[in-house]
Amino acid sequence: QLEHGCALHTAARGGLSSVSSQDVPAERPREVFHTSESDPAKHTEQHEGRLYNIPLEEVKAVFPHGLPYRFQQQIRTFNEARVMVRRPALELLACLKGSNLAHPAVRYVIYGERGTGKTMTLCHVVHYCSRQGWLVLHVPDAHLWVKNCKELLQSSYNKDRLDQPLQASVWLKNFKTSNERFLQEIKTQKKYMWGKQESTEEGRPLGEVVEQGLARVRSASDAVGVVLREIKQQSHRGSFRLLVAVDGVNALWGRTTLRKEDKSPVCPEELTLVHNLRKMVRNDWSGGAIVTTLSQTGSLFQPSSAYTPHELLGKEGFDALDPFVPIPVANYSPREFESCYGYYLERKWLQHEKAHTEDGKAELRFLSGSNPRQLDRLAGPL
Amino acid sequence: RIMPVRWSRYNPSYLEPEVKKDSYQKPLEELTEEEREQMELKAVRPIKAAPPTLSSSVFSDPMVSKFTNMMMKSGNKVLARSLMSQTLEAIKRKQLEKYHKAPENEKETIECNPYVIFHQALNNCQPIIGLSNITKGGKTYQVPVPLTDNRKRFLAMKWLITECRDNKHRRMMMPEKLSQELLLAFNNEGPVIKRKHVLHKMAEANRAYAHFRWW
Repeated sequence: QLEHGCALHTAARGGLSSVSSQDVPAERPREVFHTSESDPAKHTEQHEGRLYNIPLEEVKAVFPHGLPYRFQQQIRTFNEARVMVRRPALELLACLKGSNLAHPAVRYVIYGERGTGKTMTLCHVVHYCSRQGWLVLHVPDAHLWVKNCKELLQSSYNKDRLDQPLQASVWLKNFKTSNERFLQEIKTQKKYMWGKQESTEEGRPLGEVVEQGLARVRSASDAVGVVLREIKQQSHRGSFRLLVAVDGVNALWGRTTLRKEDKSPVCPEELTLVHNLRKMVRNDWSGGAIVTTLSQTGSLFQPSSAYTPHELLGKEGFDALDPFVPIPVANYSPREFESCYGYYLERKWLQHEKAHTEDGKAELRFLSGSNPRQLDRLAGPL
Repeated sequence: RIMPVRWSRYNPSYLEPEVKKDSYQKPLEELTEEEREQMELKAVRPIKAAPPTLSSSVFSDPMVSKFTNMMMKSGNKVLARSLMSQTLEAIKRKQLEKYHKAPENEKETIECNPYVIFHQALNNCQPIIGLSNITKGGKTYQVPVPLTDNRKRFLAMKWLITECRDNKHRRMMMPEKLSQELLLAFNNEGPVIKRKHVLHKMAEANRAYAHFRWW
């Protein structure tokens, strides 16, 4: 009874009446934590701490590769995708709404300690932009491009660089699923030669470049480079707005664990994918925004206590990304914790009898330290 | 001077530590006479050191801790505990998926609580009667013998773990294998229940030698 009263009180403070939610608080007090506002453009401070639903078809179309693995498992178990609206995401959305697209692209760096919700904030922003009709260039985890690569080919375009056909083809496939209509609208501005016989003429839709990259896996990295280049050159015209969303951007300026055939280590510059992505993240183009996330979890040769931009990016990366808008993401506030706990209870995720009691809730709060990832891991076996 | 710790024998005057929070939150008036005496005794006598497995958490379960200890190899409790939590999560996910897809009238029959399933599965696997080797006149006979509760629990857990380790595909992860076995045992199916039935049949077959038991 106590927590029902507490939930109603917080909701009343948040101005429940002015929110267009169809939930009736008197009948199901826990649904106070949900909102029926599934358009991120309309999220305001009133929705802070609440969970909004993304329809499953939209999830498949917008996020073929962006969501964390545990969140994908959660979607499969609960049969719905609920994302919490949190303050860093609201700030980012406000900045994006007020940004002037004629100016050079503004860079936003989302940073924070481990497991505080940086990737989910990025996914919220990506959902907003895809709803608004932006072209979204989403790189799910840049760390995957600098480690565990089985095949490294010497690039045919530039002798010094190395290609990664598998990673490039996987990314192209997911890019195709998320941005179908733009691939028909954007036309190439130059003739590109793929090897001796195949070429793409000027004025062909970008979809053909992507098909070429998927069909000939050897030239997939070059296809990625062509796609990025074309999009960057045409973004200032204003026919579409571009969002570059990179998760784990500190991988672009760190070290790699890859080695060439003579066992010498590979620098990130020598990889075509990393080289092209670095050009994308520079703010010499206009007509969009660059939102990036720092990540220590997948990073190489970084201590686990590092989370600030200066530590993770290093001098080179910080200078390259310098000026940027930093967006810190913190652990759950008490209200967000209540919201998450209420959601788990309502979805029957917390099955242990003691988890429904006040003692259990206090113990979960203490053990997780209000950290979203720890709470998720703790609530798993309970 | 090194104090022996692992099998240290405490002086009989040492009392067991009390971990549960509720016993300390009761106000003085509600205590009965025995409890008041117990409190006064505790104020005077020394208390044993609490073992690391004893937890004051509301979520701790002695059976689950015992099972985790049996799964542990070479003292790696961290790994054993994480495998156990992944197993419970896997059971919960499978049951919840079934629950959400089932029609309304069947929803109450599906049990989603992994702890309930774990306890019920262990109960179903416990044998009632066991066999013991007794040598009489130079020959060893398998004699049916009643089992203590501890022995039954131990056998159930041991059979589950060995079944998962030996008879499964090499590349399957332990939480996956264990969750499968526990769900089968919960429904009274599966190889562990079969092994229990085999043991019961052997005991029934060797009924004639039951009088060899002298305890």
